[in-house]
Amino acid sequence: MDFPTHFDVIVIGGGHAGCEAALASARIGAKTLLLTHNIETIGQMSCNPAIGGIGKSHLVKEIDALGGAMAAVTDLGGIQFRVLNSRKGPAVRATRAQTDRALYKAAMREVIENQLNLTLFQQAADDLIMDGDQVAGVITNMGVRFNSTSVVLTAGTFLGGVIHVGLNNHEGGRAGDPTSTALARRLRQMPFRVDRLKTGTPPRIDSRSVDFSVMSEQPGDTPVPVMSFLGSTKYHPQQVSCFITHTSEKTHNIIRQGLDRSPMYTGVIEGQGPRYCPSIEDKITRFADKDSHQVFVEPEGLTTNELYPNGISTSLPFDVQLELVRTIKGFEKAHITRPGYAIEYDFFDPRDLHHSLETNCIPGLYFAGQINGTTGYEEAAAQGLLAGTNAALRALDKDQWYPRRDQAYLGVLVDDLITRGTKEPYRMFTSRAEYRLLLREDNADLRLTEIGRTLGLVNDRRWRAFSEKRESIELELQRLKETWVGSESKLGMAVGSVLGKPLSKESTLADLLKRPEMNYSALQSVDENSTAQGQIAEQVEIHLKYAGYIDRQKEEIDRLKRYENIELPDSLDFRQIKGLSNEVKQKLSDSRPQTLGHASRLSGITPAAISILMVYLKKRRNLAG
Amino acid sequence: MTILSADSDTIIAQATPPGRGGVGILRLSGPRSLEFAQAVVRFTKSKSSKVTSTQEMTSDVKPQLKPRFAHFAQFFDKKNDLIDEGIVLYFPGPNSFTGEDVVELQGHGGPVVLDFLIQQFLDLGARIARPGEFSERAFLNDKLDLIQAEAIADLIDSSSTQAARSAVRSLSGEFSNQINQLLESLITLRLYIEAAIDFPEEEIDFLADSKVTKGLDEIVLRITSVLQTANQGALLQEGMRVVIAGRPNAGKSSLLNCLAGENRAIVTALAGTTRDVLREKINIDGMPLHIIDTAGLRTSPDEIEQEGIKRAWQEIELADQILLVVDASGDNIGKNVSMDNVQALWQEMVFSDKIWADKILKKIILIRNKIDLLKESPTEIENTDLTVICLSAKNNKGIDILRNHLKKIMGFKNLGQGQFSARRRHTDAIERALKFVKAGEEQLLNAGAGELLAEDLKQAQNCLSEITGEFTSDDLLGRIFSSFCIGK
Ligand SMILES: Cc1cc2nc3c(=O)[nH]c(=O)nc-3n(C[C@H](O)[C@H](O)[C@H](O)COP(=O)(O)OP(=O)(O)OC[C@H]3O[C@@H](n4cnc5c(N)ncnc54)[C@H](O)[C@@H]3O)c2cc1C
Ligand SMILES: Nc1nc2c(ncn2[C@@H]2O[C@H](COP(=O)(O)OP(=O)(O)OP(=O)(O)O)[C@@H](O)[C@H]2O)c(=O)[nH]1
Ligand SMILES: [Mg+2]
Repeated sequence: MDFPTHFDVIVIGGGHAGCEAALASARIGAKTLLLTHNIETIGQMSCNPAIGGIGKSHLVKEIDALGGAMAAVTDLGGIQFRVLNSRKGPAVRATRAQTDRALYKAAMREVIENQLNLTLFQQAADDLIMDGDQVAGVITNMGVRFNSTSVVLTAGTFLGGVIHVGLNNHEGGRAGDPTSTALARRLRQMPFRVDRLKTGTPPRIDSRSVDFSVMSEQPGDTPVPVMSFLGSTKYHPQQVSCFITHTSEKTHNIIRQGLDRSPMYTGVIEGQGPRYCPSIEDKITRFADKDSHQVFVEPEGLTTNELYPNGISTSLPFDVQLELVRTIKGFEKAHITRPGYAIEYDFFDPRDLHHSLETNCIPGLYFAGQINGTTGYEEAAAQGLLAGTNAALRALDKDQWYPRRDQAYLGVLVDDLITRGTKEPYRMFTSRAEYRLLLREDNADLRLTEIGRTLGLVNDRRWRAFSEKRESIELELQRLKETWVGSESKLGMAVGSVLGKPLSKESTLADLLKRPEMNYSALQSVDENSTAQGQIAEQVEIHLKYAGYIDRQKEEIDRLKRYENIELPDSLDFRQIKGLSNEVKQKLSDSRPQTLGHASRLSGITPAAISILMVYLKKRRNLAG
Repeated sequence: MTILSADSDTIIAQATPPGRGGVGILRLSGPRSLEFAQAVVRFTKSKSSKVTSTQEMTSDVKPQLKPRFAHFAQFFDKKNDLIDEGIVLYFPGPNSFTGEDVVELQGHGGPVVLDFLIQQFLDLGARIARPGEFSERAFLNDKLDLIQAEAIADLIDSSSTQAARSAVRSLSGEFSNQINQLLESLITLRLYIEAAIDFPEEEIDFLADSKVTKGLDEIVLRITSVLQTANQGALLQEGMRVVIAGRPNAGKSSLLNCLAGENRAIVTALAGTTRDVLREKINIDGMPLHIIDTAGLRTSPDEIEQEGIKRAWQEIELADQILLVVDASGDNIGKNVSMDNVQALWQEMVFSDKIWADKILKKIILIRNKIDLLKESPTEIENTDLTVICLSAKNNKGIDILRNHLKKIMGFKNLGQGQFSARRRHTDAIERALKFVKAGEEQLLNAGAGELLAEDLKQAQNCLSEITGEFTSDDLLGRIFSSFCIGK
């Protein structure tokens, strides 16, 4: 049957990508349907219930700056908050929250159910409705036909998922969930490049069988950090500690003896895992000389006894898992509640996508999340937000949008995927961002909220709070730049005592703050007019400390931006361009870059090739008149 | 619609073919050309007056350059020492070759002086032009018509290939060794720092370690030593490279001796006399030229000879011109020999279908040697697609014809990037890298700002990448993952 309502956007999948996609689309004002296997698993964390961390918290705060739900939901579900790299400078600081799986899921579901323009329906999507080469809706496994203008697919690890424990394997989307076999088969008939990846998860442990007294305790930070720009500690539930323990030589021996029954080391798993070591069997094989590895013991929630032993992800047979767990300090009597496993699944080559996350070959169809070759909730959610936004913009007949590499980690993520593709599950790291000093978690709102407001993603409450904050920062910066302090003045002497030596000449407060020995709170101790607090004081200080570096990065960005604005028309035949080497012609024809900037970032494209392209474009344009 | 406009920075390059003595021209183009020129140029009353003390300098008064007027001027470095004197011309945009403000300096000094002059402009903030960039800018600024667009694409292509080749050549073994070691220490250091930043929970906090300061010291030391090597000029091999190649006993070494005017190479009647590569620097009317004698090409069971032949091939690949020597009497090659004949002969010597054969064929001048045995007289023949020079090396007959021919091609070739600019590019990149490393070190020591050190080291590596090729953030992550056990 045809469902009576026509939707602007249908989102398939209620994971992290799907939730943000559906919410973004609905916020923009598109009539949106979220279609998912099971309403009970909306916002489910398949693995460790933790949000944030290096590179990832940057994504979470960007989602937040664009009005998304992940940060706010984390504030409602977080049971331990820490700022990583707190001693290393603001650009690389990152907030991480251990969350209560159930609280997180409930909070996300509440957001979804209360979102205007958003309809929920529990049912597996089996097929796409096509109108010529465009997508026109979705057919569920009951045969209901939902019509729409755009479709966002966020099926996670469910496409062709195969779960491995030891040499046994079975189909599954994740432990306890079915795969999407019909949809996977249908998609394989379409002109996408499909490949396999794999990921894994550790066994879970009953906390009542664990001796915490022999582990080192890792409490959360005080004061307790918050994730959302609008967040507050008053939203946090009760806070708890995590613990750290270690594997031993005995653990490693057991693993070594079990390798002949490991699906990874016997070739049963063909999907590519990441280059970093996700599983304990990888760690001990690749770094044989290390005699001990850290294990973070993390609670899964306040009302469950399950623990997540972070660091011993494994797909060894259950008997080996049990034996190895019990050699770890504090786990001698551990009871495993769920065995660890590895999962292999289909992903689509992201080089077949536009930067908007729309697929190249099927207009109106967008892909987001793990199906694009990424791993991680944050990476998935960020893509979901982008795909949902563009699916809605398309349905409402508006221009597509995506952030550049210098605007957001989301821009880096999407551009990396689309220009370079990926051979392993792609995870965000700060070293992937060439403008790391600009793309900080603390200024995600300053980078993105205004854009989000224009796109229709940011509501009045957030916009008001943001505008006030931005104005206060500007006012305080102006005051600091305009306040001169003489070396003999009262304030000058006081500053001198903070610096440990008298001022040599009259300076502005801004210049004084740039000195390594000086910071805003020290200034506050001597100057009663320096009254900024919290996020504003933080921004002012970072702005001044990084000034020289940021100016340099901005100059470089301006230089490169020119290329980003030069579009390469679809009709361009790269093989016709004289002066390009055959290798370059081939590369360009294969990847069909959308802009000159995109072309310049493909591997093997030289500055000379870019010059030749420029000259060619100019000639073409002049000829066209 | 977006504007297809040129870069907005100011570029500089040498506009004369390098190494030709006489006048050397530097061209600046871009918005800051005039400003930069004014910082270097001073007017003096007469050509002979020499500035003896800084008091006489009018450095605070900017020299006024009249548009399109040839001023006689002197060029100074930033310490106010005289570098050279000559003519300076200012063409304000848009009425200039590139459509931007252009300044031309014509000096009398040789390549070393010009190079030093370029350094002054780089210090002021100019950037070395990419190959073909002046023409590219001219075209983008509507200064050239459409018909020329294709020619420009070709120019960019060929001059960047040539620049790349010059760069390879200016990397003598010693230099590239040092650069690679430098790069390796830089990568290792970045590895530690980036790992500490991206994986703070992995029990690897190197930023707090003395490893980092030690690493920094080592890098500064290495950079200084690389710069020294580069500046010694030992690696500098200016001039066109002419490789003599052919089958054993064709008379290659005899020809080298003729061109060198000395008996540099051993000549015997035995096939396979020359084993190693022999280089001679000669001059034709003041123009420098490298003549390279190589082992005769054939399959040989002799290990030493095999190695010699391998080296011969390497030289052939880097050659600007190849003198393919044949024995006119024995090889049965007549005067009307065509490219097809050469190709056949070539293929026979190559014993394989090397893909670059075409590129190499274009560089061949065929030398029909031993014409004394055929009782012919020396001559130069221009066949449709091939120049043939008939001579006798043994009797020193026809050598002047060959010299004249080489001189003629030198006039056309070498127009792009010379060795000097290739070297200048390198030293410029290394010097910029050094600045970044030092700035980063300061950040670490004074402010404990590891993330700023990381940023500076990344920039330093970007500078070196201009010489050594791309190193992406993904490459770096790969190195981190293979060096440290990371992952939860
Ligand atoms: C075993 C395992 C271990 C992992 N380990 C880690 C880790 O260590 N670190 C880390 O950062 N990340 C890890 N992840 C990755 C992280 O869980 C995912 O990257 C993230 O959840 C992906 O989000 P998503 O929205 O793309 O997909 P998912 O969260 O997988 O959500 C997909 C959703 O789509 C629904 N769905 C699928 N097909 C259909 C259909 N046909 N019709 C209707 N609904 C459908 C599913 O029911 C589900 O709700 C792991 C994942 C798994 C499975
Ligand atoms: N008649 C005559 N003999 C020549 C001429 N040029 C060279 N020869 C002789 O040819 C022989 C080989 O000369 P080489 O110059 O050693 O030849 P080659 O090509 O360097 O040989 P290999 O180094 O063995 O590859 C010597 O005996 C020379 O004297 C020439 O013009 N006329
Ligand atoms: Mg010889």
